[in-house]
Amino acid sequence: MTTPCSSALATKTALVVSSGSDVDELLTNVLAHEGWSIQSVIDNHQALARARAEPFELIITGRKTLGAEDIELLRKIRSARSHVRLIILTDEWTNGDVISAMREGAFSYFSAPFEASDLAEMVRAAMAEPCWDDGIEVLSATPEWVTLTARCDIATANRLVQFLHGVKDPSIPEAERDHVITAFREILINAMEHGAQFDSSQHVEISFIRARRAIACRVKDPGKGFSLEELRDAAADRSPEDLFGRARARDEQGLRPGGLGILVAKKFVDELIYSEKGNEVVLVKYLDPPNRPTI
Amino acid sequence: MALQISTRESADVTILDLRGRATIGRESESLESSLRELVAAGRHKLLLNLANLTQADSSGISVIVATHVSLKRQGGDLKLLRPCGRVLEALTVCRLLGAIGSFEDEAEALASLRRRRYSATS
Repeated sequence: MTTPCSSALATKTALVVSSGSDVDELLTNVLAHEGWSIQSVIDNHQALARARAEPFELIITGRKTLGAEDIELLRKIRSARSHVRLIILTDEWTNGDVISAMREGAFSYFSAPFEASDLAEMVRAAMAEPCWDDGIEVLSATPEWVTLTARCDIATANRLVQFLHGVKDPSIPEAERDHVITAFREILINAMEHGAQFDSSQHVEISFIRARRAIACRVKDPGKGFSLEELRDAAADRSPEDLFGRARARDEQGLRPGGLGILVAKKFVDELIYSEKGNEVVLVKYLDPPNRPTI
Repeated sequence: MALQISTRESADVTILDLRGRATIGRESESLESSLRELVAAGRHKLLLNLANLTQADSSGISVIVATHVSLKRQGGDLKLLRPCGRVLEALTVCRLLGAIGSFEDEAEALASLRRRRYSATS
């Protein structure tokens, strides 16, 4: 893994690059509510100078700058302040910027349009998370194939999913992209929980592959796996009555509500393929072929 | 946004207004404990207002299903009000909307819950 975990936040000062009134107001409200003091600057040049002069636990870029410029800022700041949490906001970016942001250790990445409530929640997570910067490590990346590891905890899963929301592909309808992310999140959480019991010393390995007519995600957890029969059973389409019966049985066994993750994931992609050991799964979403001229 | 839950009463029905997301971790645990407390306190007719719930994953949905099942067993009921967006999609693909009972109009939802007479053996 990359770097050792930073310690819990001792002081609370955030540096915010201005984005404009709405976002600035939102950030001020969230940070002030949590007891943080805020310093504001108007651009990345000022942000770098200020960050070199004094330590900040959290830096949030302005959405007016390019994603690539924010990554350059991140790189320079982290060379001096290796554990700083930096959240990138941007209106203009490329998918490569999102990967670079993960590689360079951004805490999170928000590309327009984004939900204010999601940003507020990520800022709170940045403030609350004592150990974060070895959470996601990009092992290799091409435009078609990205492989990374993610630490087995919910906060890291949420950070990774937010990065995924920044990856856009104009040839994939927004709704289908959301479905893949929903399915991926279910499988990721499943892998972290059942493959590692949310043990933050463990990591899952993940690959995203973009083929011409399909998107695939592979998730491998560090656990012993499950029998294919168990996995088929968990993924089987069920009537509501059957789901209710299973919920009743879990309650009688003293188990917490659950057991729907694989089923929900299966509903949002075209295929779920498990390895023999059952600790590795590939999600596949087929994309409609492009319209071809008729002869 | 983390999950915020506020409750209000309408005769023997307790309405829970959910805001934020019901996802694995603190949020679904908070939802589960709130529902458990209400049921333990004898509130056996629950209406979950999902209009401002932006996300529910399998963990949040499982809590809703488990509470629905538990209440049915005790002669009570749980119904849904105005699910939308990603939450509506998740409930739809699991075919739970019709099975649990979902309404767009609060008055209709309340009437549906009130029609069901409480009985420990029903």
